Amino acid sequence: MKKSMKRLTALGMAAAMALSMTGCGGKTEDTATAGSTDTTAAGNGGTAESAGEPVTLKITWWGGQSRHDYTQKLLDVYTESHPNVTFEAIPSGWDGYFEKLATQAASGSMPDIVQMDYLYISTYAKNDSLADLQPYIDDGTIDVSGIDENLLNSGKIDGKMNGLVLTSSYAAMGYNPDVLTEAGVEMPDSSWTWDDFSDICKTVKDKTGKYGSLAYGVVDDTNLFKYWVRQYGTELFAEDNKSLGYEDDQVYVDYLNMWNGLIEAGAVPNPDEHAQIQALGQEAGPVVTGDGAFIFEWNNYASKMSGVNAGLKEVTPPQKADSDSKGLWMKPGMFFSVAETSTVKKEAAEFIDWFINSEEVNDIIMAERGTPVSADIRDYMVNSGKLTDQQKAMFEAVNADQALCGTTPAPDPAGISEVNEAFKNTAYEVFYGQTTPEEAAARFRTQADEILARNNE
Amino acid sequence: MKNKSMFKRVDNVTGYVLLAPWLVGFVGMWLIPAFISIYYSFTNFNLLNTPEFVGFANYVRAFTQDKTFVKALTVTFLYVLALVPLRLIFALFVAMLLNKKHKCLGLYRTLYYVPSIIGGSIAVSIVWKQIFGNKGVVMTLLSLVGIEQKTSFLGNPKTALAVIVLMGVWQFGSSMLIFLSALKQIPNSLYESAMVDGSGQVNTFFKITLPMLTPTIFFNLILQIINGFRVFTESYVITDGGPLDSTLSYVLYLYRRAFTYFDMGYSCALAWILVAIIAVFTVIIFKTQNNWVYYESEGK
Repeated sequence: MKKSMKRLTALGMAAAMALSMTGCGGKTEDTATAGSTDTTAAGNGGTAESAGEPVTLKITWWGGQSRHDYTQKLLDVYTESHPNVTFEAIPSGWDGYFEKLATQAASGSMPDIVQMDYLYISTYAKNDSLADLQPYIDDGTIDVSGIDENLLNSGKIDGKMNGLVLTSSYAAMGYNPDVLTEAGVEMPDSSWTWDDFSDICKTVKDKTGKYGSLAYGVVDDTNLFKYWVRQYGTELFAEDNKSLGYEDDQVYVDYLNMWNGLIEAGAVPNPDEHAQIQALGQEAGPVVTGDGAFIFEWNNYASKMSGVNAGLKEVTPPQKADSDSKGLWMKPGMFFSVAETSTVKKEAAEFIDWFINSEEVNDIIMAERGTPVSADIRDYMVNSGKLTDQQKAMFEAVNADQALCGTTPAPDPAGISEVNEAFKNTAYEVFYGQTTPEEAAARFRTQADEILARNNE
Repeated sequence: MKNKSMFKRVDNVTGYVLLAPWLVGFVGMWLIPAFISIYYSFTNFNLLNTPEFVGFANYVRAFTQDKTFVKALTVTFLYVLALVPLRLIFALFVAMLLNKKHKCLGLYRTLYYVPSIIGGSIAVSIVWKQIFGNKGVVMTLLSLVGIEQKTSFLGNPKTALAVIVLMGVWQFGSSMLIFLSALKQIPNSLYESAMVDGSGQVNTFFKITLPMLTPTIFFNLILQIINGFRVFTESYVITDGGPLDSTLSYVLYLYRRAFTYFDMGYSCALAWILVAIIAVFTVIIFKTQNNWVYYESEGK
């Protein structure tokens, strides 16, 4: 009896050790042979292609239901023309997407193709989780001739092409023209200022009782604030990413004062109402349903929402009255990255090439993911006559609005989600009347600097 | 003799075989990860890098620099402090009601247990959010009787935690069942002699029922405290820790650290601090049991 117990314990311990050893072993192996895996994978890929050896590509993306539906359709189309390639699709909403991805990356089971955001690409790049796609560009697997070089290089971090940019976008104010007409105000154009914006919001509230603007995304992350800061001629983050880039806290104080004033006037939902609106989902949000005028969004907003309300329009965000700094920038919308651990990198690269350059693909996507990066595809889309009015407006606006865009800032630094949380909390404290904008701005600086310094050593 | 030990051995083997599925899960999904997390808590692991040893830095950081840690700890203490007594009192109250002879007793018992089965689920949390949130049922009803709220109960940093506690109290079922079975074990003879001696209902409750229940209360107390410290779903789904971190539970903060901020090493340290806190509480309550828990068999 005793003996068998002992044996059992020994067995258990052996199993535990074996398990934990494979855990560690996997990790070191990854980093040690990272360089050589590339070439072997590419080599294998080549043979697989010619022999038509069956491969399964795991692919994950975030998005809404319509994106899930058409992306699944795309995968089926690809399998039809490449019978040896099948897909294992892992669609997800934005919420929880990166939590899940981090876990998968940690356990070495990252899907082969990953839809990646500018927000996180540097975090993954820094930890060598993403494959370098440059070799596949060099050998012609991925054709990048139609892509603007600045935009293409936004995926380049520390000399490695960590992701291939799929779309470009820039900040925009989506609006519901009916609400503005009802309030008797003129439609804004690109020359409008923040004062114009505030006035319109208040007028809408007074005349119609509706929301002038939704605070959606205004303080929940730092995107609009980044635009705001750039209008003061400086950047949100310092060049070395170890601290905030702007020096005068008044920049943030102004921002808080403006929004807080609008909230107090009832022209913008308070945080409580905002939580409820957010729970509805964007498709049922006030701007779509005609209960609000403006929403801060990206330039694919009107086209994204055209299924639920075809009347929505968009305009570039308001400008700072006395500033000629170009606050706007072309933001890489999203990337496809390939996992460093993937054994089918070549096939993944071929799929990405197809995704970016095929007219067939873009007929199905219809710019739902944003403006396609390839100029050839953009021309094709405009001339195809298949675009809706919103989409056509979006494609045409890109050319005009390009003039308002300054240089594209570096990818968000590591620790960005923690910075966003600090930003949100300090802003909410002001909106709840628990602190003054001055105190909040000072506190945000202390917290953000600490977070940035810790994450970017 | 020899035969007997053979049988015993066969019995043991059967036992281990039956135990195996659970044991595999326990070792693989719990024990090994738990031990690995001790190691991670001393490193700067961020899920993607190769962990580097940093000594006690994570623990020091929690206690000296991290204000959100203090906030989350405060919120969780408040939650446990409010939830445990309320839930136990309510559970006991319902158990007493259900301890009477009644036609539909079986049905009632089942019905009252339902919240405990579904209470921790995402769906119920979402319903709860709709009830107490902005423009929710409660706010609408209150405005019907003339009470206009500026912010909903969930949107107000002062009341949001109370809503979460209320939801916890509502899940009283398992404590209730334990109380119910304990109530049934109190010998009827005690009640009979109390009646003969002219003891009133209240007196009987405090002099007989409550003392006889103390071992069960003790058991429930420990169970509920441990459960209370682990609250996650409610604050994650209903409020996401807000407004202003007023419902940021310790485990939610720990989860955020790990999976939103990629701060796994620090998060593991937070987890072990929580283990220590729960252990301390359990030990304290065990130490006090001589003073208030009555075991019938003692001294006989």
